[in-house]
Amino acid sequence: MPEDAPFVRLEGLTKRFGGFTAVEAVDLEIRRGELFCLLGGSGCGKSTLLRMLAGFETPSAGRILIEGRDIGAVPPHARDTNMMFQSYALFPHMSVERNVGYGLRRAGLPRRETAARVAEMLDLVQMSHLARRRPDSLSGGQRQRVALARALARRPKLLLLDEPLGALDRKLREETQLELVKIQQGLGITFVVVTHDQEEAMILGDRLGIMREGRIVQVGTPHEIYEYPRSRFVADFIGTVNLLDGTIAEDAATHARIACPEAGIDIVVDHAVTGARGAAVAVALRPEKIAISRDPLPHDNRVAGRVADIVYNGNLSVFHVTLDTGRRLRVARANAVRAEDAPLAPGDRVHLGWSGSASVVVAP
Amino acid sequence: MKRATPLAIVTAAGFAFLYAPILSLVIYSFNDSRLVTVWGGFSTRWYGALLNDRQILDAAWISLQVGVAAATLATVIGTLAAYALTRHGRFRGRTLLGGIVTAPLVMPEVIVGLSLLLLFVALEDLAGWPAGRGFTTLVIAHATFGAAFAAVVIQARIGSLDRAIEEAAQDLGARPLRVFVDVTLPGLAPALVSAWLLAFTLSLDDVVIASFVSGPGASTLPMVIFSKVRLGVSPEVNALATLVILVVSLAIGLAAWATARRG
Repeated sequence: MPEDAPFVRLEGLTKRFGGFTAVEAVDLEIRRGELFCLLGGSGCGKSTLLRMLAGFETPSAGRILIEGRDIGAVPPHARDTNMMFQSYALFPHMSVERNVGYGLRRAGLPRRETAARVAEMLDLVQMSHLARRRPDSLSGGQRQRVALARALARRPKLLLLDEPLGALDRKLREETQLELVKIQQGLGITFVVVTHDQEEAMILGDRLGIMREGRIVQVGTPHEIYEYPRSRFVADFIGTVNLLDGTIAEDAATHARIACPEAGIDIVVDHAVTGARGAAVAVALRPEKIAISRDPLPHDNRVAGRVADIVYNGNLSVFHVTLDTGRRLRVARANAVRAEDAPLAPGDRVHLGWSGSASVVVAP
Repeated sequence: MKRATPLAIVTAAGFAFLYAPILSLVIYSFNDSRLVTVWGGFSTRWYGALLNDRQILDAAWISLQVGVAAATLATVIGTLAAYALTRHGRFRGRTLLGGIVTAPLVMPEVIVGLSLLLLFVALEDLAGWPAGRGFTTLVIAHATFGAAFAAVVIQARIGSLDRAIEEAAQDLGARPLRVFVDVTLPGLAPALVSAWLLAFTLSLDDVVIASFVSGPGASTLPMVIFSKVRLGVSPEVNALATLVILVVSLAIGLAAWATARRG
């Protein structure tokens, strides 16, 4: 099988609970060995989708193919997938090593091999020293590691992770994210991670699938999703964004102009747009792509306004600027120097500017 | 440091109300006098007399056998009922089953006893089993209401078990029965112990239902005590009651311990 051929393929996958449609006609391809993140708000159907991959939910319609084989009718215990549960779901009456070895014993692996594999897995997650402990005597981070080791022990073709880092505190989460990526790359197992945390998805995922109301609205690399969102929802969901409503004033092969009364200018973008003249669109503009200065700026797009508020975030500052039209824009600037000679203050008159390549035109 | 507050006095009065009769019974079981209400000095003679009373010993043995058999049967039935009620969604007849399972909890014992007796008689006429009233009918009757209590205790426990743990076992290659044995049962163990002990205690305690469904040669301990007391209270009965209290307290204590161990 070639490297790029889809490893997992979902075709029109749908799940209905009574009258409620949790997952609707999802078509998706996941490549071998990649770390795919399903990202969405609560109730968007991402967990249901994962549970269908694991076999805990039966699809109402559509197919799940792994390496071309339809696994829709295969019960969970016979699938080559393993799952790491959000609650970790460790067996409370078994020690750490018995937890990790459970799947191997069910697979009928000889005792010697089981012990060796358990030791290898515990070593991988750095839990060897606590092998004989019971789960209730472990910290949250340690339980998370055991759960990961247990899910990996059977060497599944596909590992499903439901909010794997959701229960950890921020500091530990950041460390664990990188470690998870390292383990995934080291083993070469395909991971599907469900998360509601967009920052986490950006850090973990080779590719992301953004879900909304049971549908996948965009699939792409973190970079594609962030820089080229295809809809207002995706632009708004990932990171912070200024969304300016307007209509198409001019659409040429190399550029387009969007009449934007909110900003008081025609916004120039350096790519063609799809849509007729006069069609309503929205311009998505990331705060860090806008320049801010007391003096007029040379950019394609220029507006002016007054600083209303400054949020100091340490590494960067976010300026809330009220334009002359009354519209507020968020502008982010890296705090490159420790102390500015004449720092901007609320009430200061400022000029904002951004180039034609800074913004993306999305559906309204 | 601590003074007798009104709360403490009320508490003490409450305990006295509950336990003074039992305490006096225990004290009088060590009475040397033949007259139950007159203290004649300390003695254990009634315990000795008890050991030579064939009728009481036989009844105690029957009670014990019935209790063990009925409690075991009740726990099995109760577990299955509780599992069906909590884990099988909204199947047809779920409400009916829930009602039937808990009915013996609220049904007057006289009615349970009478209806069981009528059932056993009818069954014997139609199917020839159970032949006559005795040990078998006692076990069936006690298992019936014991199962109701067992189901309630176990249902609460299943409700508090994390569903994901069973799914994890399944995900790791365990078939449904294997999941039940490996993960569900250990999780239920404390509730199973409580349920069994509860059903056992209830069986040991019952006199009303037993009077209906038992036959000659299968008198349980409470039945024997009851008939003895009707002829006049003998200090021997005090000694016997003290022993029963001891056994029941141990069972309850054990049940509480089992429940607390994995709360």
